[in-house]
Amino acid sequence: MNRIALAASLAAVAATSVAFPSHAQYPDRPLKLVVPWAAGGDTDNIFRPFAPLMQKHFGQTVVIANVGGASGTKGAKEVKDAPADGYTVLGVHDYIHSTYYTGVADVNHADFEPICLVASTPSVLTASPKTAWSDMKGLLADAKARPGQISVGATLGSTSHFFPALVEKATGVKFKYVSYEGLAPRMNAILGGHIDLTDSNLTQKGKVEAGQLKFLGIAAEKRNPEMPNVPTLKELGVNVVYDVNRGLVAPKATPAPALAKLETACLAAAKEPAFAAAMKLQGTEVRLMDRKAYGAWLKQNDDLNRTISKDLGLLKR
Amino acid sequence: MFELLGAGLANIVQAKYLVPLFIGTLVGVVGGALPGITITMTVIVVLPFTFGLEPLQGLAAMIGVYVGGETGGLITSCLLGIPGKPSAVATTFDGFPMAKAGEPGRALWLGVWASIFGGLLGAVFLVASTGPLATLALAFGPWEYFSLFILALSMVAGLVESSLVKGLLSGAIGCVVTILGNDPVMGKERLTLGIKFLEGGIPFLPVLIGVFAFAQIMSEVQRMGGGRKALQAVDRGLSLAVSHLRVMWEILSRPVLLLWSTFIGLVIGVLPAIGGSAANMLAYDQAKKFSSRPEKFGTGIPEGIIASEASNNANVAGSLVTIMAFGIPGDAVTAVMLGALTIHGIQSGPLFISQNATLAYGMFAAYIVAHAVALAILLPGVRWMLRIVDIPKAILFPVVVVLCVIGAYALNNTVDNVYVLLVFGVFGYGMVKFGFPLAPFILGVILGDQIEINLIRAVMSDSDPWLFLTRPISGGLLLASVLSFAAALWQHRRVQNRTAAAQGDADF
Repeated sequence: MNRIALAASLAAVAATSVAFPSHAQYPDRPLKLVVPWAAGGDTDNIFRPFAPLMQKHFGQTVVIANVGGASGTKGAKEVKDAPADGYTVLGVHDYIHSTYYTGVADVNHADFEPICLVASTPSVLTASPKTAWSDMKGLLADAKARPGQISVGATLGSTSHFFPALVEKATGVKFKYVSYEGLAPRMNAILGGHIDLTDSNLTQKGKVEAGQLKFLGIAAEKRNPEMPNVPTLKELGVNVVYDVNRGLVAPKATPAPALAKLETACLAAAKEPAFAAAMKLQGTEVRLMDRKAYGAWLKQNDDLNRTISKDLGLLKR
Repeated sequence: MFELLGAGLANIVQAKYLVPLFIGTLVGVVGGALPGITITMTVIVVLPFTFGLEPLQGLAAMIGVYVGGETGGLITSCLLGIPGKPSAVATTFDGFPMAKAGEPGRALWLGVWASIFGGLLGAVFLVASTGPLATLALAFGPWEYFSLFILALSMVAGLVESSLVKGLLSGAIGCVVTILGNDPVMGKERLTLGIKFLEGGIPFLPVLIGVFAFAQIMSEVQRMGGGRKALQAVDRGLSLAVSHLRVMWEILSRPVLLLWSTFIGLVIGVLPAIGGSAANMLAYDQAKKFSSRPEKFGTGIPEGIIASEASNNANVAGSLVTIMAFGIPGDAVTAVMLGALTIHGIQSGPLFISQNATLAYGMFAAYIVAHAVALAILLPGVRWMLRIVDIPKAILFPVVVVLCVIGAYALNNTVDNVYVLLVFGVFGYGMVKFGFPLAPFILGVILGDQIEINLIRAVMSDSDPWLFLTRPISGGLLLASVLSFAAALWQHRRVQNRTAAAQGDADF
């Protein structure tokens, strides 16, 4: 008899919580953070240490879901179509502009509400250990001798495509592109020598120190204190500065109170010393922008990407 | 390497890992002992419970299920003559006669100890070879991966007992499923019919759950309606006590048999997607061929039990090697584990061990410790396991179905996955009814995307199509696919001539 009463009361509790979700205080269930690339890639490496800190300030579990595919746009579409209830966010970076202008997908930054920008990672031109050249000069000489023969692993239409394309434009060489989605699969391919070049960043410095990879040049204004012996592309006479900026966005029409809560939690998490320490290991700078500043930056960056797509001959809109 | 393994062992015996490992092994032993419940189903049911755990906790639980399942399956095989799972079918051939002849304890413990020896020998292989194989995997470019997947598909299609054509069709349908949704390079939508949900493609795990759990349960339910077969079981009052030292000696005094059966299990495990149901039959067949008394097989001799049980536990080690070094699931169980790895944010593949040494050696350690745990469960618990068989299926199956639905839902908290499960459950049931094997289908679903993307990459890297044949590893793999086809055709002709009708479940 007791057991039946218990079961009945449990059922009643369950029914109420299902029937009246609006009575609960936001947030009352876990937050899903969609990382639109495979696990173990650089975007994943940046949001993994971020998630527990976000969880601390958000007050609910933060679950990372890796939804890779179609140059990161599969995950973006999933978030775009998710209910705008403040329980799904996208870990986004500059690809959201480039994939739109190169015609990979119809989803763009305007489909989302900005929350905050957290990190900025300069791109590094990276070569396979099986290649003959040891520096940028060697690469350029070889590339001029064999136009269209040096293979670059890239997520087509995304940042890892734009960065080498900018190098092509600045130096007048021509590469050959092979589709490898996300940094993790590109690493397998470049370590095995199946591609010659790729865009990566200082998250891979362990492999360079172990002699498994070669960093040719970093696309930043200044050398990075984590790896001061890697020259900037500018020093080498290649006028390319390129970085990948990562932040959180939510589906359009997410209610303002939820956005405010997400923004507060996101900013607080990114200010934690633990996040700075984790980002230092990834060769990444903590770059903070609140909702408003991030929104303005996204618009500006969108124009910039349109211009780059046009300059590179990749513009499809 | 061995310091790392030592550290892994020290790590895994901590309560926070040992408890999930123990629970997983217990569930595995029970699931393995239940006729009609395959290890794949058991792993599927356990998966959603591991989402909230640390990666190593979750994986320890899954490895426990896998090892426990392989060990537990022999109980009912030996004592009741009903294989608890397809990978223990060959155990019934000699295990049950021996038990009927008045030595149930000997039959049972021969199986248990053979499992443990086979498993531990497999562990040596697992630890020693995963690293070198991962290095080999790095040398695999798009051409080699493409050819490897073609080999896997053609081997599985060839293993089908009924018809090679049906096996191939089944694999092809599996590949077609992966065409739906975005193309892997530029994200163009294919065959989505304007349905929003299909834009992202069909998620793999709900398909697997639908086909392997739901469809198989439906078939079991139908079989139940046929009336209860009177079990001529071994008298349950009979003592299962036995001298463990003597049983161990019976196994260890046949080192060639033990090593050869383990080897077969490992090789079948390493090859993508063939699995335990083939390993135990093949090992039994080999043991019979090489025996000095082949005519005694089937009458209750130890060799039959040892061959079957050593091979199916070693098969687990082989499958783990493939998933860790190549990132390719060795069978349906490891496919679920691959899903679990991804959910925990770990990319398996050639760099897995070097980047996640603690986790990798923790998994090795979990595999070793799971054998000890299985033994610790069976020593006092064997008699209880026999009772499990009495659980009415009318209660058991609905529970499993409900857990499958929860599992599909919990994957990314969307009810769409439950619809996928339903559709593919019905579809899988139809396939079973029309005699189409499920294993090639699910392998097609697992590998379809990979086949496509590697083909594209190969062509993008170099437009020369002959590279598939002229690159030595790739060419060798394609040659092996052709040979496996020829072997399958030859085998089918032989079977047709003998018109032997064999029957078995697909658990690949």
